[in-house]
Amino acid sequence: MGRDADRPDAERPGDDEVDDRGIGSRELVVAAALALAVVAATAAFPAAVDARAAYEIPVEGQSSAGDLAEPTGDAWESVETVTVPLSSTGAAVPGGADTTVEFVRVGAARTDERLYLRLSWSDPTANESTGSLRAFADAAAVQLPVSSESRPPIAMGSTDERVNVWYWNAADGTESLLAGGAGSTTQMSESAVETTATHTGDRWAVVFTRPLSADRANVTDVDPDQDVNAAFAVWEGSNDERSGQKAASEWYYLSLGPAEGGPPYETVLWALAGIAVVFTTLVTVEGIRRTRGE
Amino acid sequence: MSKTTDDAVRQADEAARQTDDGDVPLAEGVDHQVAMVMDLNKCIGCQTCTIACKTNWTESGGREYMYWNNVETKPGAGYPRDWEEMGGGWDEDGQSRTPGQLPEQEDYGRAWEFNHEAIMYEGSDEPLRPMENADWGPNWDEDEGTGEYPNSYYFYLPRICNHCTHPSCVEACPRSAIYKREEDGIVLVDQDRCRGYRYCVEGCPYKKVFYNAQTKTSEKCIFCYPRIEGEGPEGEVRPPSCAEDCPPQLRHVGFLDDEDGPIYKLVNEYEVALRLHPEYRTEPNVYYIPPFAPPQTSESGETVDAERIPRNYLEELFGPQVNEALNTINRERDRVRQGEESELMEILSTVNNDDQYRLEVFDDGA
Repeated sequence: MGRDADRPDAERPGDDEVDDRGIGSRELVVAAALALAVVAATAAFPAAVDARAAYEIPVEGQSSAGDLAEPTGDAWESVETVTVPLSSTGAAVPGGADTTVEFVRVGAARTDERLYLRLSWSDPTANESTGSLRAFADAAAVQLPVSSESRPPIAMGSTDERVNVWYWNAADGTESLLAGGAGSTTQMSESAVETTATHTGDRWAVVFTRPLSADRANVTDVDPDQDVNAAFAVWEGSNDERSGQKAASEWYYLSLGPAEGGPPYETVLWALAGIAVVFTTLVTVEGIRRTRGE
Repeated sequence: MSKTTDDAVRQADEAARQTDDGDVPLAEGVDHQVAMVMDLNKCIGCQTCTIACKTNWTESGGREYMYWNNVETKPGAGYPRDWEEMGGGWDEDGQSRTPGQLPEQEDYGRAWEFNHEAIMYEGSDEPLRPMENADWGPNWDEDEGTGEYPNSYYFYLPRICNHCTHPSCVEACPRSAIYKREEDGIVLVDQDRCRGYRYCVEGCPYKKVFYNAQTKTSEKCIFCYPRIEGEGPEGEVRPPSCAEDCPPQLRHVGFLDDEDGPIYKLVNEYEVALRLHPEYRTEPNVYYIPPFAPPQTSESGETVDAERIPRNYLEELFGPQVNEALNTINRERDRVRQGEESELMEILSTVNNDDQYRLEVFDDGA
C-alpha cells in the first residue's frame, strides 16, 4: 500500500561510540566545542528550519488565482506543504479502527476572494465508484468550525459548536456538509465549495476552493486576517472506508492572521531548552575537570 | 372535575393502556406493532406476492435486483444466496451486534438480458435464454429441496422485512437514518438521511435491506404503509400487496398488541406462529405457521409412521418451540376430526378477509 511514502524523513544521528580511555586536554577542547555547537544549533535551529508553529498550515497570499484550482497547477509550487499525520477515529462503526492512509499533505493559498486547500495523499488504487453493492469510493474532507473563532470537538463538532465539512469523494464529487456531533452530518444545498481532483501515479491530489466570505448562515466565514482551525480526513475506498471509519487529523489552523513565527510559548520553550543544554554541558565539563583533579 | 371522576378517568386510562400494551413487549417508543403471520402449509410457491411487491416498488431505478418480498425453497440457499451464513443480528446477551457481511451482487443474482430481440424480430432459432452466463439467481434452486426419493422434501418460505422489535439494522446506522416509526413499528429508511454506508445491509441477519447503487441509498420493504394508511387503491385501508394478492391467502395481517386479533392469538395464545431464526435475537414481527408434510413412504410405497421434514431442520429454522407448535396444531386438528370446535383451526382456515386483515382497530384510540 505504500503507506510509508509520506513518512517525513527522520535523520537519526549514529550512535556515538564510547571510548574508555582517559580524558586528555584535547578531549576537553572537543567537548567544549561540541557544547558550543549544540548551543549555537539550539539557537539557530528553530529559526532556520521551522519558522512554522506546530499545527500551523501557512496560507500563502497570491494576487491572482492563476491555476490554483488545478491540483497540478504551477501556482502550487511556491506554496509550503505541511505533512499532516492521520489516524483512525475509533468511531463506533464496524472497522472503525481499521484505516490505511497515514499522512496527508496540505497546502493552502488564498486570493482576496477565495481560499484554496490542496490535499494530496498516497493511494495506489483509485476507487471511483459507489455504483455496485460492495464498492466504496476514495474520499477526503476538510472540517472547519462554523464559528471561525471556535475549536469544536474534533469528531464532527457538537450541538453548540457546529462544523462545516467540505467533502469530496471520487464517485460523486463535492458536498458541503453541516454537523453538530457524530451522526448529525447533513448535506447543505447549493454548496459554494468546488473541487478538482487528479489521481496520478499512486497519489490523489484534490483542491478544495470556496469564497472566503460566507454566503449564508451556518457556513464558516473566513476572515483573511484571522486564523481559522481546520482538520482533515481521508477515506480509502478499497478498504471499505466510509463514515467514521476514516483516517483523520487533529485540529490544525490555517495561518491567516498577522502574527508571524508561532505562538509565544514556543519561543519560551526553545529558550528554556537552550539554557538547559548550556547548563548541562557546563556541569559535565566541570565534573570532568574535578575527576581529573584540576 | 370531581375527585371521583378523576379516579374513574385514571382507572379507565390504565385499563386502556393495559389493553393496548397487554403482555406483548413492544419496542420502546412504539405505540403499536404491525405484524404478519404466514401459514407455510398454504404456500404454493407461485411468486404472486413477489411480483405484486415488485410491480409496486422495485421495478426500476436501481431496484431491478431487489426482491423486498421473495419466496425461497427450503432447504435451499435462499435469496441472497446463503444469507443465513452472513452474520448480523445480536449476540447471546442481546446487547452487542454480531458482525455481518455485505452480499456480493452475484449472491442476489443479476437482472439478466434475454435474447428476445433476436428471437422475436430477427428470425433466430436459438432457444430463449439469458444473453450472459447465468449461473445463479433468485430461485435458482427452486423445488430442489433435499432428501432421498421417495422421501425427499421441501417447502416454500416467503420472506419480507420482519420489522423487528429489536432491529439490528436500526442499531447499525450511525446516522439514525433507519428507524422504527412510532405509530406502528414499521422500519423505514429515511432517504434524505441515508448516505449509503450500507451498515444496515451488513447488520440485518435476514438480508432484507438493499443498497440501491443508482440512488446511493439503502432501501427496503415498507410494509406497504401507504396501503395500510388508506392511501392505496380506492382510498381504502388495505393490507400489504403481498398479502392481499396471495392466491391461497396464506397471510394474516394486523397488530401484535391487538389482543382480540388473530395475530395475538396465533403468536401469544396458541404459540403456533413462530419467528424465523429466533437466535438472531432481532425479534421479528413476521411469524410462520410451521410446515407439515405427508409422512414418509417405504420403497414399496407404503406410508410409514415417520415425519418427512426432519424436526431438527425445523428447529434450525424456527427454534425448539417448533415442536410444541406442531403438537398443538396436531391436537387441534384431531379435535376438529372428532367433530369438536377449535378456535385455532377456525383462525387458520378462515376464508373471510375481515378476519385475516385487522388494520383499523387502533384508529380511534391511537
